[in-house]
Amino acid sequence: MFRGNKKKEISTKNAVKKEESKQIPIPSSKMEFLDKLKETMHSPADLIVKKISDTITIVFLDFLIDGKTLNEQILTTLEKVNSAPPKVIKENLLIAEVDLVTELNKSVFELLIGAVLIHVDGYPELVVSKISSYQSRGLSAPENESQVIGSQVGFNESLATNISLVRRYITNPKLCNEKFVLGKETNTSVSVLYVHGIASEQHVNTVRQRIQDLDLTDLIDSAVLAELIDDNSLSMFPQMLLTERPDRFCDGLVSGKVGIIVNGSSMAILSPYTFFEFFQSREDQNLRWPIATFIRLLRFAAILISIFLTPIYVAALTFHYEVIPQPLLVPLSESRAVVPFPPIIEAIVLELIIELLREAGARLPTKVGQTIGIVGGIVLGTAAVQAGITSNILIIIIALCALSSFTTPNYLMGNVIRILRFPIIILAGFWGFYGVMLAFCYLIIHLLRQSSLGSPYTAPIYPPRWKDWPDSLIRLPFPLVKRHSVNTRSSDTGKDTSNSLSKEEKVTR
Amino acid sequence: MKSTLQISDNQKISSSLFFFVVLATQIGVGIHGFQRVIVKDASNDAWISVILASIFSHIVVYFMFKTLSLSTSDDLYGIHQDLFGKYFGNFLNLLYVLYCSFSFYSVIRNYIEVINTWVFPNLPQWFISITLLLLVIYAFTGGLRVMVGVCFFSFITGLWILIILYMTLKYAHFNHLLPVFGNDLKSILRGAYSMTFTIVGFEIINVLYPFAKEKDKVQKYVHMGLLFTLFIYLSIILVTLVYFSEEQLERTVWATLALFSVVKLPFIERIEIIIICFWMIIILPNLCLFSWAAYRGINRIKNIKATTFIWIFSILIFFANIPILSRIQIDKANNIFAQIAFCIVFIYPFLLYIIAFSKKMLTKKRERRN
Repeated sequence: MFRGNKKKEISTKNAVKKEESKQIPIPSSKMEFLDKLKETMHSPADLIVKKISDTITIVFLDFLIDGKTLNEQILTTLEKVNSAPPKVIKENLLIAEVDLVTELNKSVFELLIGAVLIHVDGYPELVVSKISSYQSRGLSAPENESQVIGSQVGFNESLATNISLVRRYITNPKLCNEKFVLGKETNTSVSVLYVHGIASEQHVNTVRQRIQDLDLTDLIDSAVLAELIDDNSLSMFPQMLLTERPDRFCDGLVSGKVGIIVNGSSMAILSPYTFFEFFQSREDQNLRWPIATFIRLLRFAAILISIFLTPIYVAALTFHYEVIPQPLLVPLSESRAVVPFPPIIEAIVLELIIELLREAGARLPTKVGQTIGIVGGIVLGTAAVQAGITSNILIIIIALCALSSFTTPNYLMGNVIRILRFPIIILAGFWGFYGVMLAFCYLIIHLLRQSSLGSPYTAPIYPPRWKDWPDSLIRLPFPLVKRHSVNTRSSDTGKDTSNSLSKEEKVTR
Repeated sequence: MKSTLQISDNQKISSSLFFFVVLATQIGVGIHGFQRVIVKDASNDAWISVILASIFSHIVVYFMFKTLSLSTSDDLYGIHQDLFGKYFGNFLNLLYVLYCSFSFYSVIRNYIEVINTWVFPNLPQWFISITLLLLVIYAFTGGLRVMVGVCFFSFITGLWILIILYMTLKYAHFNHLLPVFGNDLKSILRGAYSMTFTIVGFEIINVLYPFAKEKDKVQKYVHMGLLFTLFIYLSIILVTLVYFSEEQLERTVWATLALFSVVKLPFIERIEIIIICFWMIIILPNLCLFSWAAYRGINRIKNIKATTFIWIFSILIFFANIPILSRIQIDKANNIFAQIAFCIVFIYPFLLYIIAFSKKMLTKKRERRN
């Protein structure tokens, strides 16, 4: 597998090559056509060639087309017209998508998507009727981003289904859909969605440009695309949201973000996304505002606990005993009295065990995963304390940190929060609170340096967009919340957006 | 020809951020122990000195803005070149760059000393200075927006320290403040003079001003920032005065830190250890912006890349930090810095305004005659 942005020269060369290889005309003789077709397609086992009459032959790939339409529409029509020129056949077919194609490669591409090729002996053209039928998974509840209140439908792997889902949410002619085909080997279709007039032109252009600049051999999942087109691939922090919830996706679109859906992937990309938005859940808007505010603040507290609690424990026990009050110091030292390791090793080992448990739980089937949780959590934890390898206070702290890290409503961001802890624990083990503060300052500067599609990553907190604060760390009642954040607002239609805004707000309410 | 700055819109920062910039640059290491010096001069009327010093700084800021608005969109360096010609102007610019570097140095030096005295007696100085300088380099290469962002977050994340400060009021003896005006004006003024080391930092707007989005609003936010620092300094000096007796204070180098050490929370004792480490994010904006101000000046004299500059600058500062200084030497350095700062921040702006104003009047007259 090889992916990456290539220099322009190579991509233009490739384009020239493509052009050259495209120009294969369709042979008019039947046998020649079939030979050529099999040669280009390397005669796959599922290629079905069916002779209808002496002149007419149809070709299609098994399992990719809708058999019912083939039988009821195409075959009956072909029987009727019997050796008419392709133009006549095209007119007689009662199928929405029928085309006349004169190039072989294009017709092969259509064949691969799920079309039936009709060849009439003596004519250098093909009738291509697209009657594709995908075997796709039914719509099911989003499993990774579950929520208590709100819609319970998630994206599936089919691009068509996903776009239809989005169109159900946003019934608006302004919803634009631009199609791209990426990956030389996989030819994956990618759709860029945005609401015209709400999404900033600049962001749309950036996304378009970055997708066009890609030179990929393959594209299997949207997560790969997100990492390839984000601003800083070196950073640990995700700069685009991956979501499997259509409601979250559409919520982003109508507030001015640009969405990308990749065929074959059940995760849609939403950008630009800011750091603080990763900790918001769609559900926050379905709850009453004081509760939503409380939950949001709780989540942010959870992040801080999750990142800094273990390092602070390590720092305090290694260097700053005097910080711990006397009544707390006694049980601490009692529990640590038998432990043979310094706090840093104790903490890192336990954190690693938690990570192992999580990873094992994620890889195993659900039922076994639970067992692993119980075995690992309870048996290992208790045994470790009784064996005197760790102190039970550290077990409490580690469990608290792990618990806190799972409150992040986004899996990618949750991973970052968990992994961040390790370097900070090491810093704390060597330089105490000074090391923790080094990490804290570094984090703040790092976040400030990031951007998402060129707009600041830490917005709306910094640069301070006071008008967006009601829906950031907290959520105030809807009348106080501006629907379109400054970050994503289109520049030219300030007034226009506020009009469409009030309508949408009514809908959301 | 006039060398006006060309600054694109996306480099500019919103004027409300000047509030945080002023706050972040004013509050640095001076706040750890400014009480002792002032109380030595003004005794229990030290809080009046603090107010006086703040009033002076308001006046200075007023004149700074007057000077800056005389030229269209220029910083101090451009004004120097404009008024005094290329060579003498650049000489003055170099002096200002040296002042900024000295300021940078003194912040880092004092912080290292506090860390070594209170938290880690054995942590080598070179390690502290390297880590701090690396952070500064990382922020500096991110550009001005990142540095101002550091100012912003240092304010937001540092607000809790004020609450800790008020917790010490439990042990207050308010009669320490009496009698008010027990000292003559001269000693109070001398106390205000001693505030210099602590209160300077707002002169950064001399360099930062051209980067503001709405120029007419900046002054308002700068004055607001000065008022907020006054509020912080006043709180600290009042709390200190009611907690310490004068004799105690004379023997306390870092009175603010000593104050924090009496606070007891259910989970944490000796909170000053956490606060001192936390202070890193409060001095970080100082370091960033002073190095940036120095860069702007150097850039006027000789065009060099920002990344090259900050590495050279950091290496120089690192070597300057190697000799180990005693408390008395650092105190002496601080005093020298305070004297220079007093001249540059509190006296020079008036002179500069008079020169700039008279030059403008002269050219106007000449134009009228022609």
